[in-house]
Amino acid sequence: MKRVNVLGAALSFAALVVAPALAATQLTGAGSSFVNPFFSKAFYEYSAAHSDVTVNYQPIGSGGGIQQFTQRTVDFGASDVPMNADEIKRLPASAVQVPIALGGVAVTYNLPSFIKGGLKLTRETLADIYLGKIAKWNDPRLTKINPGAELPDAPIIVVHRSDGSGTTYIFTDFLSHVSGEWKSKVGTGKSVEWPAPSAVGGKGNDGVAGAVRQTSGSIGYVELAYVHENKMTQAQLQNAAGRFGFCTGRGVAAAAATKLNLTPTDFSIVDTKGETAWPIAGYTWAFMYREYQKPEEKSRAKMVRDVLEWTATSGQRIAGTLDYVPLPESVQEIAKKSLSEIKV
Amino acid sequence: MQSESHEQLHLRRSRISDRWFMAGVYGATGLFVAIVAGLFVELYAGSSSSIHAFGFKFLTSSHWNPVTNQFGALPMIYGTVVSSLIAIVLAGFVGVFGAAYLVEFAPRAVARPLAFLIELLAAVPSVIFGLWGLFILAPVLRAYVEPFLQAKFGFLPIFQGFIFGSSLFTAGIVLAIMIVPTVSAITRDVIAAVAREHREASMALGATRWETMARVILPGATTGIFGACVLALGRALGETIATTMVIGNKPAIAASLFQPAYTLASVIANEFTEATSDLYVSALIELGLLLFVVSLAVNGIARVLTWTVLRPAKAR
Amino acid sequence: MPAPYQFPYLVGGAETLARPASEPRPPSKMATDGLNVFYGQFHAIKHVTLSLPDRRVSALIGPSGCGKSTFLRALNRMHDLTPEARVEGSVTLDGTDIYGPGIDPVEVRHRIGMVFQRANPFPKSIFENVVFGPKVHGERRHRELIEICERSLVKAALWDEVKDRLNSSALGLSGGQQQRLCIARQLAVEPEVILMDEPASALDPLATAKIEDLIFALRRDYAVVIVTHSMQQAARVSDLTSFFLLGEMIETGPTAEVFTHPTDRRTEDYITGRFG
Ligand SMILES: Nc1ncnc2c1ncn2[C@@H]1O[C@H](COP(=O)(O)OP(=O)(O)OP(=O)(O)O)[C@@H](O)[C@H]1O
Ligand SMILES: [Mg+2]
Repeated sequence: MKRVNVLGAALSFAALVVAPALAATQLTGAGSSFVNPFFSKAFYEYSAAHSDVTVNYQPIGSGGGIQQFTQRTVDFGASDVPMNADEIKRLPASAVQVPIALGGVAVTYNLPSFIKGGLKLTRETLADIYLGKIAKWNDPRLTKINPGAELPDAPIIVVHRSDGSGTTYIFTDFLSHVSGEWKSKVGTGKSVEWPAPSAVGGKGNDGVAGAVRQTSGSIGYVELAYVHENKMTQAQLQNAAGRFGFCTGRGVAAAAATKLNLTPTDFSIVDTKGETAWPIAGYTWAFMYREYQKPEEKSRAKMVRDVLEWTATSGQRIAGTLDYVPLPESVQEIAKKSLSEIKV
Repeated sequence: MQSESHEQLHLRRSRISDRWFMAGVYGATGLFVAIVAGLFVELYAGSSSSIHAFGFKFLTSSHWNPVTNQFGALPMIYGTVVSSLIAIVLAGFVGVFGAAYLVEFAPRAVARPLAFLIELLAAVPSVIFGLWGLFILAPVLRAYVEPFLQAKFGFLPIFQGFIFGSSLFTAGIVLAIMIVPTVSAITRDVIAAVAREHREASMALGATRWETMARVILPGATTGIFGACVLALGRALGETIATTMVIGNKPAIAASLFQPAYTLASVIANEFTEATSDLYVSALIELGLLLFVVSLAVNGIARVLTWTVLRPAKAR
Repeated sequence: MPAPYQFPYLVGGAETLARPASEPRPPSKMATDGLNVFYGQFHAIKHVTLSLPDRRVSALIGPSGCGKSTFLRALNRMHDLTPEARVEGSVTLDGTDIYGPGIDPVEVRHRIGMVFQRANPFPKSIFENVVFGPKVHGERRHRELIEICERSLVKAALWDEVKDRLNSSALGLSGGQQQRLCIARQLAVEPEVILMDEPASALDPLATAKIEDLIFALRRDYAVVIVTHSMQQAARVSDLTSFFLLGEMIETGPTAEVFTHPTDRRTEDYITGRFG
């Protein structure tokens, strides 16, 4: 009798020790490195509130994320661009894609003399600069929109991301929208063939920022968060409504708010018509499969769905603190609705 | 009788162990060959759709366009070879003379710490070299060194044109610094191995230390130094992250070293994670195959050079 | 009870090289005064004072490790190349201290040449080996170099054996030929003193005989100092012999005297093979 008690005590003690470790299920995701800072903080907070779940996210790049998701080696994937028809065709089953984060791409430059109010660019001049058609800073088309600014007789060094990135995708998507020539000659992609003779590629946001900071006469594009963190000089860009402005969270949110019918196949929010919209912005998407069969899979999928739903809604408050732009209410609704289609 | 059988036993045992040793040697060699062959086959298989789509044009085209799925590797081959050549010329020069100085001329109190420092460079991760190159070296080159070269030697096409911070030149110098330890460490050993008696013979004939170095020690060490350079060159050819950070990542061939360029390894590092279409991935793998082939070719050429140029020189 | 000792090398006149009986003693070419050499803490040469005459062969003998090579290397500042070695006292060449201030050790070695125990030709052609020194010292004219090469090889008694293959590698020569090549190489820079550290120790008797003839011939033009382990050799080729023991010079004098009437007991023991 006594012996049984001892055994029972030992067992319950073991249970106590093991319980937390056993109970926390580790979910894994992979993909976009752009969302990683946001995901890390969001998932950390989520685990703090839900002790039964931890999330391990690997920022291996959107391409890698899609690949791992396709091979079902992760519970969810994330990409700065939704999967295209080709990629969807390769999936073993139907998937759901939801917008999970929102970001803007700012234009930064480096000129020897300070320009009050910042350099002003129209959409066309930005495209022509990146096409190499405007090759010098004192080009009449630039001096015209920057009266009073001291623009040197120096070549414009065009800096771009050398690594494949969603940022480049959004930026080239914008250029394709505003310039027919860009669209036909270069196109939209995570990596493109940069036409400007003075183009230089930097690896990552740091690489672009570093090149711009060190090269007098250069222009580049980086994520909004990066501009803020590094106090970089921003250019003003004219939007479709004709207003000049800087890239700000509010401008990006305004751009996002103009697109109410957001879907994974119609997702572009560049060059939108909103009065205060910043024209270079885009979503990061998370994806999981639509149906799960085995009971064990189902319970996991339910946890993943809950995490993603929380991240796309309540978690967005964290996005703001990290210089991401919180998803507008309407988009949060879209995400929620898409997630609810998942059968678990 | 007993002792005789003992002896026989002993002999046989040693023969068996010989056999084991030989088996081990052949096994290791075979494994090594198999790994290299396997790597080649794997790369070839992975790049088959790209090879099929572009054929020989992959080597001659300068267009690298992931949007239209048109891929050509010529600028990357050029960038890889030229950046490594710059590196090996600089590192060879500095490494060999540095080693000569350390072994033969530097006072011991200087030689030891200096040698240690140089070899420490080999332990620094490449990303550190990349950061250093991007944020410290490139601005200095851009502001002082490159304008100076342009002013003095601007008539040479290689020093003409606009000065970018990120360029073939910057990459070459960063790579040179990275491979100097390899050159200098091996050269030091090789120089030290040149028999002390040759050194003494030369000095006894009234040669100075420099004359001894230039006429006896270095000529006697050429093969070894050459080997060191080939090894270092291998590292330069394959270096990825540091190059990527400072070369400017531009798939174009320019006459000027001050222009940005691209290397095979850098493209792979930059684009592999975000490549999704099959042809795109395949083209990237073909770049890997090319890097493999370029490295083999460079090694092969180096070997042939050792045979044809250095051997007869030694006997002459 | 040891049998009364006889000096086999000196009795058979045929074995000794002919030498005029009583030359006037020539002036000293080199001299050391209170020479000390240290390797770190180790005192390898202790207060050696010795005079080395011009146009004569001086032999240094003594058991292994007694400091013969160390002494020899002090004579042309070869110790400069060994960081742990330190030389004290004076070594003079024609009365000038070669360790004195303002003396260029390279010039010292130019005037005082050295032939080593092991033949050490450079991995170059025979021709390049011989003209190495003249080239280093600035001789560029090819005709002149060819002449020097022939002259030196003739003097070194090697010319006939190699004249048809001057451009082939020196490493293809036999050991004895290599050593004579090294001597030719040394002669090509026209030194005033030639130091030889056991030049024939690795050679067979025939090659040794050739080297010995050569050494003997060299005394016409040079001051020669030779380290040897062979009593026969010392007796045959040298005019003067100095006996070293544990870093000290025990005895020095005309070779015949040292071998027949050693003044020091230890010299006699060594020469008669009773120790070392
Ligand atoms: N570089 C050195 N560092 C320290 N000790 C040395 C060095 N060279 C020689 N010695 C020591 O100095 C002593 C004399 O050496 P040395 O070579 O002059 O002898 P040796 O008379 O030439 O002998 P051998 O007949 O064997 O050539 C020896 O005890 C030797 O161990
Ligand atoms: Mg010796």
